[in-house]
Amino acid sequence: MRIDPWRARLLAAGLSLSAAAGCAAPSAASDLGRIRELSHLDLPSSTAAEEVEPAATSDARPLLSRPLTADAAVRVALLNNRELRAALREIGVARGHLVQAGVLPNPELEVQVTPRQGTLEHTRVELGVEFDLTSAILAPLGERAARADHEAARYRAAGAVVELGYSVRAAFYAAQATQQRLAIANRALDAFTAARDAARALFEAGNVPELDVATQEAGYEAARVAVAGIELGLLDRREQLQRLLGLSGAETSWRIADEIPRPPEKLAMPPRPEARALSASLELAELRSRLEAAAGRAGLARTAGWLPDLSVGVRGEREDEVWQVGAGLRLTLPLFDRKQGATMAHAAEFDSLLERYHGRAIDVRSAVRAAQNRLASAHARVLHHQRVLVPARTRVLEQTLLQYNAMQVGVFELLQARREQLDAELAQVDALRDYWTSRAAFDAILAGRRVEVMGTIAPAPMSGAAESGGGH
Amino acid sequence: MDRRSFIHAGGLAAGAALLTRGLAHAQERPEHAAGQPAGARIAGAGNQPAVVTPNGSTLPWRVVDGVKVGHLIAEPIQHEFAPGLKTEAWGYNGSTPGPTIEAVEGDRLRIYVTNRLPEPTSVHWHGLVLPNGMDGVSGLNQRPIPPGETYVYEFVVRYPGTYMYHSHFDEMTQIALGGVGMFIVHPKKPRGPRVDRDFVLMTHEWKINAGARRPDPNAMSDFNVLTFNGKAFPATAPLVVGRGERARIRLGNLGPMDHHPIHLHGLSFQVTATDGGYVPASAQYPETTVLVPVGSTRVIEFVPEEPGDWAVHCHMTHHVMMQMGHGLPNMVGADTRTLDRRMSRVMPGYMTMGTTGMGGMGEMPMPIPPNSLPMKGGDGPFSYIDMGGMFTVLKVREEPGKADPNGWYTHPAGTVAGPAAAEKMRADGIDPSARK
Ligand SMILES: [Cu+2]
Repeated sequence: MRIDPWRARLLAAGLSLSAAAGCAAPSAASDLGRIRELSHLDLPSSTAAEEVEPAATSDARPLLSRPLTADAAVRVALLNNRELRAALREIGVARGHLVQAGVLPNPELEVQVTPRQGTLEHTRVELGVEFDLTSAILAPLGERAARADHEAARYRAAGAVVELGYSVRAAFYAAQATQQRLAIANRALDAFTAARDAARALFEAGNVPELDVATQEAGYEAARVAVAGIELGLLDRREQLQRLLGLSGAETSWRIADEIPRPPEKLAMPPRPEARALSASLELAELRSRLEAAAGRAGLARTAGWLPDLSVGVRGEREDEVWQVGAGLRLTLPLFDRKQGATMAHAAEFDSLLERYHGRAIDVRSAVRAAQNRLASAHARVLHHQRVLVPARTRVLEQTLLQYNAMQVGVFELLQARREQLDAELAQVDALRDYWTSRAAFDAILAGRRVEVMGTIAPAPMSGAAESGGGH
Repeated sequence: MDRRSFIHAGGLAAGAALLTRGLAHAQERPEHAAGQPAGARIAGAGNQPAVVTPNGSTLPWRVVDGVKVGHLIAEPIQHEFAPGLKTEAWGYNGSTPGPTIEAVEGDRLRIYVTNRLPEPTSVHWHGLVLPNGMDGVSGLNQRPIPPGETYVYEFVVRYPGTYMYHSHFDEMTQIALGGVGMFIVHPKKPRGPRVDRDFVLMTHEWKINAGARRPDPNAMSDFNVLTFNGKAFPATAPLVVGRGERARIRLGNLGPMDHHPIHLHGLSFQVTATDGGYVPASAQYPETTVLVPVGSTRVIEFVPEEPGDWAVHCHMTHHVMMQMGHGLPNMVGADTRTLDRRMSRVMPGYMTMGTTGMGGMGEMPMPIPPNSLPMKGGDGPFSYIDMGGMFTVLKVREEPGKADPNGWYTHPAGTVAGPAAAEKMRADGIDPSARK
């Protein structure tokens, strides 16, 4: 649907005029401002544009021309992600309901004209105006419930923003790690190729049986398949990221910044993370707003139950140029239908939401502890890889080279040590990915949103592809 | 212990300490002195020369009431096989093999054995005929000597010959770590022609992984350090003899597993004795290689005619290699051009070795594990000698008393093999490019 701006302005002006009796109705821009404040993410204004464009916004282009970083990827997603834009537009529904709830009922006008005829000497005009007082009295109550619903929608949207930020980071780190894994795997493949070439040269010289050549060739071919698997993994992860960034066509040729960064030496954990996560929790805030709305609707139903249907009217009659005016009141007696059922239903809705609220609070506390554990463990693992494991494997390689120089071991053992050292580097990249993903998940929960953490799959090492050395 | 024996033991301990220090000092000296002819020292009747243990020493005696009293201390030692390879070994009196015990037929010997090893020990006098309780087999003939204690052995050496001694508790470990030595008994009346030089060479084999420091007593094959008197070439002291002199070499083998065919260049010799006794002159036969079985001694005698520097070595080719790896693939003849290109990407420090043989290995300046001597030999007068381990040099000189044991033989002009002149080859009908 397209609404031209002139009509939109007119419509907005009309709505705000008619709602003058209640509070001022929120605008899309104020919704966006509130969501920025809640999510701590710099939502571009274009996400709240009046028009829905089929093409992605061009604002992302400069971000994509440079090697992509995790932060840039999040900015692109905030500009382009259609699911997010849809979620933001959904606040408009609640906003509409809020505006509608504050609108006063329309007066009813009745005109009756009886022309002069037969015994009637003059034309008789009867005029009646009736105004539904009950609806007018109940309108502010309904508006309060709708305002809470609108606030809930804002929290929900802010949660979607935070979650998108996390998903983009997780997908970015996955792609970046896979890209790095591929580079390492290609180096391991070089080592397999060298072992194969060594076996071939030794076989040509008549020094080893064909078995050794076959073994090394099989190892090399298995390593090629492993590398192809990682290549596909990289393509898959890029596509996952394309979807989150809302990119297609010419914009899909972005490059990832080279290496997954190292974590800080010391892991900074904020004090009292559970309390922080609870107070930041957007889902708890949303539930609180929905509780408020349910309470409002229950109150509305209760009030409507004892309030008789009340309408006042003024009637006028003109006959023979003379107006006769009278007033009237109409009411129903709330004897039987006192909205008992509706009140019960709203009360039950409130209670059920309250149960859910307490349950969610427990979940949020647990989730923040789990996220903290994952982060601390990932940090410790990365440092252990960095400081101990990779250097240890490197020492093994260096010492194997010395032993090779001393003719204690052959070229196959040397290459095996090289592959095992590269395996340690592969494992370090996985640990780095775990760290940054856990970091993003922990930050998301402190920003108010629990997220589903995508665990990394322990990949098969490259070194195991050929166990046997040549020669024995 | 009464007062007299207390003083006695104290004096012995001090003597042993002095001896140990002296030995340590001798081991530090790079120059070879131990292989020098002993000159004046006479061991027994008939003007028999004392034995010389190149790179080693002889156990000193103090004579107490006509008894020759000696002291062996079994202890952990730091031992150097050759510059670049040190080890944690177990020996006697600071060395492996321990000091050569030298006595004369009919001597009464009293040998104190102090155990400074971390486990019990005992000493077996290998080949000697003696009272059963002195034979030194732990459990069978005596209680093992506990760590820290001193036992005493006393016996009369009844038969002349070439014997050995070694630990007889946890032999596998204590022998593999160096708990061995030679035991010489001179005859009261010399037999056969008098010799001018009497050398002792004890073979041994060790397994020391390149970069490790302690011999592996669990080794059963793949021994990679082979020694004469605990030294590997080029640290083996040469044997200096005079041209026309009669020389004797007493060979003993207490290595764990291998026999050694010891080969001498430039002469032939007679096997004159074993650890069982003298070989009658009628049964002696000429050899250039004598097999010395594990647990045996062989005595050879010869009169060198040709002056020069002559190789003496075990003829098992792996026994003149130092720390040769036995698990590496054979690279000889392999065309590794493709591999080399590939390896420059995979391992920048890599260099293909062995494709044209391994002769140059010992001279390569590549970084190797510390404390290792893989494929190492030593410098010779013409070029690098690519043999190590069980290799030494017999230096036959006109004037052995004045000869420098570290100097090389000066060849008379025209007596060294060299490049063939094309003209001479043509004259002799030699065409190096010809194919048969
Ligand atoms: Cu040998």
